[in-house]
Amino acid sequence: MELASRAFEVITKPANVTDEVKGLLPDLGNADALPYWKHVLRMAALCHDIGHLPFSHAAEEELLPKGWTHERLSRLLIESEEMREIWDNMVPPLKPKHIVKLALGARKAKDLQFSRWETILSEIIVGDAFGVDRVDYLLRDSHHTGVAYGKFDHYRLIDELRILPSFEGSTEPSLGINGGGIYSAEALALARYFMFSQVYYHPIRLIYDHHLRDFLTAWLSKGTLLPEGTFPIDIEGHLRTTDDEVNAALRIAASDPEYPGHISARCIMRHCHFKRLYERDPQDAKLNSEPGAAIAMAAKREFGANAVRYSKPKVKNVAIDFPVCGPDGRVQPAISASETLSKLQPTAMEFVFIDPELKAKAKSWLDRNREKILAAAGEQEDEEHETQPKSSNTHVVEPRNAEKG
Amino acid sequence: MQRRGSWCGETHIQKATFFLQDLLGVDAGFDFILYRHGPFSFDLRDELSSMQADGLLELAVKREGYGPTYVPTQFSEMFLERFPKTTARYMKQIRFIADELGDKGVAELERLATAFFIAHRERIASVALRAQRLVELKPHISLPDARFACQQVDSLIERARPFSPREE
Repeated sequence: MELASRAFEVITKPANVTDEVKGLLPDLGNADALPYWKHVLRMAALCHDIGHLPFSHAAEEELLPKGWTHERLSRLLIESEEMREIWDNMVPPLKPKHIVKLALGARKAKDLQFSRWETILSEIIVGDAFGVDRVDYLLRDSHHTGVAYGKFDHYRLIDELRILPSFEGSTEPSLGINGGGIYSAEALALARYFMFSQVYYHPIRLIYDHHLRDFLTAWLSKGTLLPEGTFPIDIEGHLRTTDDEVNAALRIAASDPEYPGHISARCIMRHCHFKRLYERDPQDAKLNSEPGAAIAMAAKREFGANAVRYSKPKVKNVAIDFPVCGPDGRVQPAISASETLSKLQPTAMEFVFIDPELKAKAKSWLDRNREKILAAAGEQEDEEHETQPKSSNTHVVEPRNAEKG
Repeated sequence: MQRRGSWCGETHIQKATFFLQDLLGVDAGFDFILYRHGPFSFDLRDELSSMQADGLLELAVKREGYGPTYVPTQFSEMFLERFPKTTARYMKQIRFIADELGDKGVAELERLATAFFIAHRERIASVALRAQRLVELKPHISLPDARFACQQVDSLIERARPFSPREE
C-alpha cells in the first residue's frame, strides 16, 4: 500500500509528465479525479492477496474447484456486501469494480475492459516489470528467509518511474523508467532471478510443496474439513480456513497413522522429505522436451507412483518489456538501454524426487537407464503431440507451481 | 514470419498467433483479450518465455532504439524435425499468416487485429458500426483508417476460407 502510494505520487507529479504523455492519457490532467484513483490504488494494493488460501499457492490448482483461483476469491471478497459498505463509506465512495481491476490486472480479470489509465494503474500493482507486489514480496521474503538476494534500492526505482510511450512514437502509454533508474531496474531483475533460483524454486522448497499438497488432498478429501474435498469458496468458509487450522491438523496427522495424510504430514513435521533424483540438464532437453517428466514416468513404473514426485515450476519471464527515457528525452526499449537486462534469460527447471528409502537404488537405476528412457520418450513425442487434445498449448504444457501473485 | 520480412517482436507474434487461432481455427489454446496494441494473450507471453528457457528462441536487438526481435535458435530447427506430423499439419495455415502479415508494422497489425476481434468476437456485421467500435476502443485510430481496416479484414476473411481446417 505504501509503495503503491509512492509510485502513484511519482508518476502523477506534474514535473514528471510530458505533454506527449498528457495527450495519450487525459486522466493525468484531471486533478479532481487523481485523489479518487489514489484511494482506489491503495485499497487495491491492500486487497491484492486477500483471496489467498492457507500457505498461498502451494495447493491452489488442485484444491480449489475448477475455474477458481485465489484472484477470483479476492474479487469475491472485494465485491462482497460487507466490503461494499466500506467502499461506500469512504470519501469519496469507491467503485468495487475499479478496485478489482487495479488489484487483479488484465491478466486475471479477463472479462473486464481496461482503459489505458486503469491499465497503467494496475501495472503499478501487478506489472511484470515494476509491480509493487513483486517489489514487496522480494524484499519481504528476502528479509524473512535471511537471504540477501532479494534486496535492491526500491526507493530509487520508484523515484524514477515514469509514464512513457511504449516505444518511440507509440500511442500506447506504458509504465517505464527514467534513465537514472536503470541500475535499480537491473537490480530488481537480478534480485528476482536469484530469489527464484535460490529460494522459491529451490528443490527442497518445491518438494515440501508436494508433501503439503499431498497432505491437504488427503485431509480435505476425507471430509475432515470439507465433504467436497476442496477448499471452501464461500466467503465465510474461505476466511475460516487459515494456516493455523492446517498447522494443527499437520501436527495431529504426523503422529497418528490412522489420520488422513499421515505419511505426508510425517515427511513435513519430521523433515524426512523426498530426495532429489534428477534435475533437468539442458543437454537432455535436446532429446525430449520434458526430460524430467519422462524420467518421472519411468521411475513411477519402476518404484510405484507413491515413491516418486515430479516438479516443473513455471518459467519466470525476464521483464524487459518497458520503455526507458534517456537524458536526451528519447525513449528506447529496456533491452537496448541495459546490457545486463539483455543478457538475462528465463530458466527452465525440472526435478524428480524419490522416497528417501529408495534413493540409492533409484540412483543406480537411473544411471543405468537414463539415456534409454530419454531416447525412447523423444521418439514418441510427435505421436503423443498429435493425439493430445488441441485445447492445450502446442509447445509444452506446464503445471502451475508456486507462482507468486 | 521473418522470411516474409516481419520484425518478429512480441507484438508481431501476438497478432499473428491471434489470427492463426481465431481466423484459421488452429487451436493453440491461447486466451486472447483486448490489451496492448489490440488482442493480446498473457498465456502466449508465458509460452514465449518458456520457449526461451527451453533454448528454442532468443531475443536480439536488431537496431539500437528499436524493440527486440525473437530469433529461432539452431536447436529450434532440430526441435521442429522431431515433430514432422504436427509441423506438416499446420504448415499451410502458418504460411498463409506469414504471407498476409509478414510485412506489416505494429500500428497496422493493431488496427487489423482489433478490427478482426470486433468482427469475430463481438459479431458486429456492419463495417460502419465496426469502425465506430474500433475508434471507441482505440481513440488514436482515425475513422477513415478504422473503416479501411474493417474492409481489409473482410477481405482477409474471404482469402482465408480455403486455409481453415473447418473448410477442408
